[in-house]
Amino acid sequence: MSMVVVRLVLSRIAIAILTLGFVSVAVFVGTEILPGDVAEAILGQGATPEAVAGLRAALHLDQPAHIRYFLWLGGLLSGDPGRSLVNNLPVAELIASRLPNSLMLAAVTAVVCVPIALTLGILSAVWRGSLFDRAANFLTTSIVAVPEFLIATLAVIVFAVRLRWFPALSYAAGIISLDQFFRLFALPVFTLSCVLTAWMMRMTRAAMIDTLRSSYVEMAVLKGARPMRVVLTHALPNTIGPIANAVALSLSYLLGGAIIVEIVFNYPGLARLLVDAVSTRDMPLVQACVMIFCSAYLYLLMLADIAGILSNPRLRHR
Amino acid sequence: MNSDPRIKETKDVELFRNDAQCVGEAFRRGATRREVINRLIAAGMSVAAAGTVASFAETAHAQTARRGGRIKVALSQTSTADTLDPARGLNPTDQSRHFMFYNGLTVLDETLSPQLALAEEITPSDRATMWHVKLRRDVRFHDGSPLTSADVVYSLRRHKDPAVGSGARSLAEPIQEITATGAHELRIRLSEPNADLPALLGLTGFLIVKDGTTDFRTANGTGPYKCAEFRPGVRSIAVRNNEYFKPSKPHLDEIELFGIADEPARVNALLSGDVHMINNVNPRSAQRIISTPNVSLFETKGGAYIDLVIRLDRAPGSNPDFVLAVKHMFNREQIRRAVYRNYAVIGNDQPIDPTNRFFDPTLPQRPYDPERARFHLQRSGFANQTFPIVVSPAAGNSEEMAQLLQQTALQIGCNFNLQRVPADGYWSNHWMKHPIGFGGTNGKPTADIQFSILFKSGAPYNESGWANERFDRLLVQARSETDDAKRREMYAEMQRLVHEGSGCCIPVFASNLDAHVRQLKGLVPIPTGGMMGYNFAENIWLDQ
Amino acid sequence: MSADQTITAVAAPALPRRRFRLPLAGIIGAGVVGFWVVIAIIGPYIVPHDVGALVDDDLFGRMRWALPLGSDYLGRDVLSRIIIGARYSIGVAAAATFLAVFMGGTLGMLAAVSRGAVDMALSRFFDALISIPSKMSALVVIAALGSSIPVLVGTVAVIYTPGAFRIWRALAVNVNALDFVEVARARGEGTGYLIREEILPNIAGPVLTDFGLRFVFAMLLLSGLSFLGLGVQPPNADWGSLVRENINGLADGALAVVMPAVAIASVTIGVNLVIDNLPGRWSSTGEH
Repeated sequence: MSMVVVRLVLSRIAIAILTLGFVSVAVFVGTEILPGDVAEAILGQGATPEAVAGLRAALHLDQPAHIRYFLWLGGLLSGDPGRSLVNNLPVAELIASRLPNSLMLAAVTAVVCVPIALTLGILSAVWRGSLFDRAANFLTTSIVAVPEFLIATLAVIVFAVRLRWFPALSYAAGIISLDQFFRLFALPVFTLSCVLTAWMMRMTRAAMIDTLRSSYVEMAVLKGARPMRVVLTHALPNTIGPIANAVALSLSYLLGGAIIVEIVFNYPGLARLLVDAVSTRDMPLVQACVMIFCSAYLYLLMLADIAGILSNPRLRHR
Repeated sequence: MNSDPRIKETKDVELFRNDAQCVGEAFRRGATRREVINRLIAAGMSVAAAGTVASFAETAHAQTARRGGRIKVALSQTSTADTLDPARGLNPTDQSRHFMFYNGLTVLDETLSPQLALAEEITPSDRATMWHVKLRRDVRFHDGSPLTSADVVYSLRRHKDPAVGSGARSLAEPIQEITATGAHELRIRLSEPNADLPALLGLTGFLIVKDGTTDFRTANGTGPYKCAEFRPGVRSIAVRNNEYFKPSKPHLDEIELFGIADEPARVNALLSGDVHMINNVNPRSAQRIISTPNVSLFETKGGAYIDLVIRLDRAPGSNPDFVLAVKHMFNREQIRRAVYRNYAVIGNDQPIDPTNRFFDPTLPQRPYDPERARFHLQRSGFANQTFPIVVSPAAGNSEEMAQLLQQTALQIGCNFNLQRVPADGYWSNHWMKHPIGFGGTNGKPTADIQFSILFKSGAPYNESGWANERFDRLLVQARSETDDAKRREMYAEMQRLVHEGSGCCIPVFASNLDAHVRQLKGLVPIPTGGMMGYNFAENIWLDQ
Repeated sequence: MSADQTITAVAAPALPRRRFRLPLAGIIGAGVVGFWVVIAIIGPYIVPHDVGALVDDDLFGRMRWALPLGSDYLGRDVLSRIIIGARYSIGVAAAATFLAVFMGGTLGMLAAVSRGAVDMALSRFFDALISIPSKMSALVVIAALGSSIPVLVGTVAVIYTPGAFRIWRALAVNVNALDFVEVARARGEGTGYLIREEILPNIAGPVLTDFGLRFVFAMLLLSGLSFLGLGVQPPNADWGSLVRENINGLADGALAVVMPAVAIASVTIGVNLVIDNLPGRWSSTGEH
C-alpha cells in the first residue's frame, strides 16, 4: 500500500516541477506581452519618455528579457524569489504577510461548506427524484446563478448596513477574540459558501449516484441491506475518491478565486496581491503568486488521489 | 474665508468680530498662531492688535477642537505600489499618507494661497528667479534629529534623479540649483522668474524627507503623525507626533488608513460604521449618504476635470471646424445632471475653474448647439463618418460622458464608436496617443502650473498638441508680473485662447465628493483635491 | 467556480433507443431558454427605446407605463438594455462554449487516441492552464488586449478549453479501450478515422450535455468578469455588466440591478432544467 502512495507522490512531484517550469515561462511571456511596464506603472500620469528610461535603467529593466528570466529563475532556485519591483520589499515577505490570511479564509470556508455540501449531496443522491432532491437542486442552481459580487454587496447591505450584525470589512490584525473572529469572517465566508456549497453538493450527488448504480451496490440491495446501511458501508467508501477530488478542486478555488470577496470585504489575501502585481507589472511578485496557486492546485489534487487510493481496497492492495 | 485677508482693511472695530471669526476659521484649517498673526499684520494691523485677535480666535477654536480619538479612513486607491516616498506619491491615498508624516516648506490654504510651514521666511529677489528660504529652528524629525537645510536640499534635488522615479519631475524642471547657505538657510535658483514658487513648494511631491533617505519602508518626517505601521496594499497606522511643531496639533491620537477600491463597498463600510471617512464617492451614491443620519457628504469644488482630447496634429482634429463641431455637441447641462448628479460646475473648454482667482467669468459660455455643430461638421467635410473615441475607467466617467456625446452626435450625423480600454497603464499607453480620447487632471494650485504643464506649446502633457505663440509669451509674462490686475488680464486672454483653439473639450469641472461620520469635524474644502487637498490629517478632530 | 472542476465522466450505458421525451420541468426549462434565444435574435426590432438614449431625468426611476422596468443609473430604459443585453450574454457565452468544446474536444480525443507522449504532453499542458485561476487569466487578457467581443469570446473559450479537454479525453479513453476500436486500429485506420467514425458517435450524448453545462458556466463567468471590467463596448452591455453598472441602486432595490440578475438566473436555471431532465442516454453521469 505505502509503495503505491510513495510512487504516486514521487511521480506527482516530478510532474509538478515540470508544470511549474512551464507555468513560469508562460507567466513571464505573459507579463512581457502586457503593454506597459513597471516603470510606467510607477510614474503613472507623470511618465515622460526620459523619466521612464531613467527608471527602467535603475530597475535593470533595460536588460534583455531572457537574461531577466534566468536571473529570476536562478534566484528562485537558490531560495530567493527576489524583490518586488514597485516597492522593493522582498517578495517572500509580501507573500508571508498574505498567505496565512488566504489559508485562514479557505480553511474557515471549508469547515463550513464541506459538511453541508456532503450531507446535502449524499441525501439528495439517496433520495434522488424526491421533492427534497428537486428543491435542493433548484436552490443551489439559483444561488450559483447570481453573480458573486452581487451576493457580496447584498450581504453587506443587509447584514452590515441595515441589521448591523456583522462588520462590512473583514480585516483585523493581531489576536482577536473568538466572538470577533466569528463576526469578521461571517460575511466573506457566507459569500464564498453560497457558490462553493452548491458546486460541491452537485459533484457529491453525481459521484454518489454513480456509485449507487454500480453492480456491487445493487448486489447489496438485493441481499436486503437497509438503504442507509448500503449508502454508509458500501457506497460511501467508494465515493471518497471522486468526492475528495471535488473538495480539492473547490479548495484550490478558494485561494485564487476569492478575488471578488477579497476586494469587497477588503480582505488582504493572495488574490488581491496578484491583481496588484499584474496591474503594476511587478514580474517577480506575479510569478510568486502564480507559483503558489499552481502548487496548491497540484498538491490538493495529489492529496485527493491519495485519499482515493487509500479508500479503494482494490487500488490499496496493488 | 470670504475674502483675502491680505488686501482687506481691518482697522475698523466693526470688522474686528468678523475678523476674529475668519481667523478662527484659519486656526481650524490648521494655520499656526504665527501664521495668523503674520497674515493680520500683512493685512495692515499693528503687531499688538494682531496678537489680540489671534488669541481671541485661538481660545474660541480650542473650545471646539477636541483632542484625542482614533479614526479609520478608507480611500479609493491602494496596491502594492503604495509608497511613503513623497516624490512617488501619485494618488490620493499616498498623498494623504504623506501629509500625515511629512511637511512641506509651505502649505496651501483653501484659497490656494501658500502659507509658511517648515519655512519661516521665503523671499524672492532678482525678479523672482532667486529665492531665499529660512527654515524654522524648532522642527525635529520623528527620529529626533533637527531639520536643517541639508534635508531640504536633498529632498528637492531628488526629483532630478531619474532612478527616484519622481512624479513631480516636470514640476521641478524650472528649479536649477538648490544651495544651502547656512544650517537653516538655503537659496533656490530658477531658470526663469516664477512668482508662484511658494505655492509649488506646498505640493505633496515637494514634502521634506530626511537627508540621505533611500529606504521608505517607514516614514521619518516632521509631520503631525508618526508612522507606526505601513504595509503597501494593506494599511498604514499613524500615531500622534507629540513633538509636532504646530502647537495644539494634531487633534487625533491615531489614524488607520487603507484602501477599498470598490466604491459600493467603500460607501457601505461608512454606512455600517466600520470607517469614519471615505473619498471618491460616486455622485450616484450621494443621495444615499445624504439621507442617512450621522454621516455627511463633503463636496470640494475645484479644478479637477476629465476632458475629451482631440489631437490637433492629425485627422480629424487637424481640421478646426471638426473640433468646433465636437465642442458644440457637448450637452454640458445633461452631463452635469445625468453623469454627475449636479455635483459639477459647467466648464467652458478652458482649464481655469471658478474657484481660481484668475477665472474669467466674462468669457462667453459655449452652448450646446446642434445647429452650429452640424454647420461646422458639414464645413469640415467629416459629416456622416465614424470616429473611434477611446474611453477608460482610468479617466473617471469618460465612458458615461462619451455615451452621452455619442447620442447627441448621432442626431447631427456624426458617429462615434466607443473603445473602452483597461485602466491599467491607461495614462502611459493610451492617453494623448489616439486621435480622440479622454484625458484629465486633478486640481492644480495655480493657473500658471495648470497652463505650463498642460497647455504650453511642447509641454509633455499638452494633451491636444496645441501650440500658440501668443499664449506661450503671455504665460512667461504673467509668471513674473506682480501687478494682480495686469496678471488677471493676461490670464483672461490665455483662457480665451485655450477656449478657442485647443483640442481639449472640458465639459464640466467635477466636484470631489468625500463622506464622513458627522462627529468628524474641521474639514474645509481645498480645491486641489478632496479631503482638504488630502491634507486632512492634522486638521480634523472627533467630537465627543 | 468553473468547469475546471470536471473530474471524471463515464459514458452512460447504451440504452435501447426510445422516443425523446422531456418531463414537465424540462419543458419549462426549454421554454425559458427558447424565449431568451428568440429575444436575443429579434431584440433590436422590438426595443421600445434606443439602448443609449436618455429617457428619464431621474436615476433608477420607478416602473411606469413608458418604462416598464424603470430607468438605469443614467436614466436609460432598463427593459431595452436587458433585451439588447440578451444577444451579448447568450451570444458570447454560446460562441465561447462552442470554441472551447471544439478545441478541447478535438485535442481530448486526439490525446485519447494517440496515447503515450502526445497524451502526456497535452494533459500536462492543460493541467498547467487549469492551475492558473481563471479570473486572473481574464485579468491579464483585459490588461493586454482591452475588452471587445472577440477578446471576450477568446478569453472565456481558453478558460473552458482545459475542462472540455478533460471530459472529452476521459470519455474517449473509455471508448478507445473497447474492442471495436481496437479492431479498427488493428485494421490500420488512421487517427482521424478513429476519432470521426468510431469515437465521436459513441460519446455524442454526454458531450452534448457537457456543452450545455459549459454554456452555463460561461454565462456565469462572464457576469463575474464584469466586476473586473471585462464586457462588451458601451453603450451596449451584457447582463453581468448591467448588474455591475447599476450596483449603486442595490440598496434601494432598483430594478436596474435586480432584473438583469434575474435574467441571468433564468437562463442558467432553464438550461439546468433541460439537462437534468434529459433521458438517460443523453446525460453524462459525471457532474462538473
